[in-house]
Amino acid sequence: MSREKDAANYSVVVFAAIAVLLLLFPVAKIAHTVRIAVSYSLYPSLHYGAKYAYYIRNVPDNFVKLLETDQENRSLKEKVKGLEVRLQSASALEAENARLAAEMNLSRALPWTGAWARVINKTPADWYGSFFIDQGSERGIAVNDTVMGMDGGRAGLAGRIFEVYPKFSKVLLLTNSAASAVCSLAPDGLEALVEGKGTWMLKLNYVPEESNLAEGAEVLTSPGGLLFPPGVLVGKVKKVYQRESFMNFITADIVPAVNVNTLKEVFVVRRNLPEELLGARQAEK
Amino acid sequence: MSIILEVVVYLAVGAGYWWWGQNLAFFGLVPNLIFAAALCAAILAGPVKALAWGFFLGLYADLLGSNMFGGYALTFTIMAYAVYVMKRHFDMDSPFSQLVAALALSWVCMFFYQGLGIIFSRPGSLDLRVFLAEPFLNALAVPVMFQVLFRLKRRFGVL
Repeated sequence: MSREKDAANYSVVVFAAIAVLLLLFPVAKIAHTVRIAVSYSLYPSLHYGAKYAYYIRNVPDNFVKLLETDQENRSLKEKVKGLEVRLQSASALEAENARLAAEMNLSRALPWTGAWARVINKTPADWYGSFFIDQGSERGIAVNDTVMGMDGGRAGLAGRIFEVYPKFSKVLLLTNSAASAVCSLAPDGLEALVEGKGTWMLKLNYVPEESNLAEGAEVLTSPGGLLFPPGVLVGKVKKVYQRESFMNFITADIVPAVNVNTLKEVFVVRRNLPEELLGARQAEK
Repeated sequence: MSIILEVVVYLAVGAGYWWWGQNLAFFGLVPNLIFAAALCAAILAGPVKALAWGFFLGLYADLLGSNMFGGYALTFTIMAYAVYVMKRHFDMDSPFSQLVAALALSWVCMFFYQGLGIIFSRPGSLDLRVFLAEPFLNALAVPVMFQVLFRLKRRFGVL
């Protein structure tokens, strides 16, 4: 019993120490590499055996034909089922078509070049933190590209590209508690910092106390920010908090311009940021 | 052979959680199968193996997220140790005690992870919906997960 207790005590110390070291030291690159491996392992592809003919070499022809008929029957049944589902989803596709057409018209009016992508996966544990889209480096998507969503006929900032894989990418949402953007406030053009809170709402910070910030004011990305193109709608002020006695700035709640819960497609704006600046950003991480 | 099966079970738990999140999420809520597996492994396995399962399942959860790397690994490791201490005093094999333990430990783990966020990253607001509902889903998932792992242990010597 004592030996088991010792083993448990040593083990908890070792594992806890490794976990704390992982937390303390910058392992972003290693974690990134492992994340790629895990992501690939979560997209398994089915392989039909190439040795099929070898396994049936001694089976009589009529039995093989029977098997093949059965397989054909199964595949036809699957096809019929698929067609029935497609028939039923035709109205949903029609609605999607209308939505995409509207978004395409909207994107033509945008002053940036980029690519459309579909939201393919949201992790429940990180609902307001990140999601995956179905476009990756093969379509020219790069880290730190701006991700925009269309809501109510207007483009709004959703986040930025965080990790890029050949066929898909991970988007760090602005609502992530680790995300932020330098913004300017209408009508004065004052600059402040919008930060994610890990919920659907954003927080506006460092607003000078003398500013006349009002509820409903629009918050746009600022030319002073490096990551995002200027003039993109971030959200609207919902509630302004009065200055605390120990602070010389005021804060506010911001309703994001893009609702993460209803986002189905996003527009990825290619930023083509200079390497030196990207290097600086990586070093900051 | 047993170690290969353990790796398969480990990957299956992670892939199962991923699949459930993609296909069966209800209002963005799913039982945290990784937490459930870590808790059940802590109940079923010996102390060293239980801690290893907690640590590696935590790493898997860290890989799925975008926040601090190692946070869940530390949380589940300490949870496994706490369960090891607890099971010497309580009967953890009955579904009711597993249900209560899952409910309580879900909240404890959430608070602990938030605490780690304050220390190592930055304070993040806890989603109230997840905070209120997920522990109950976990409590329902743990007895089922326990039965699955118990059968695997009895039949194949996993854990």
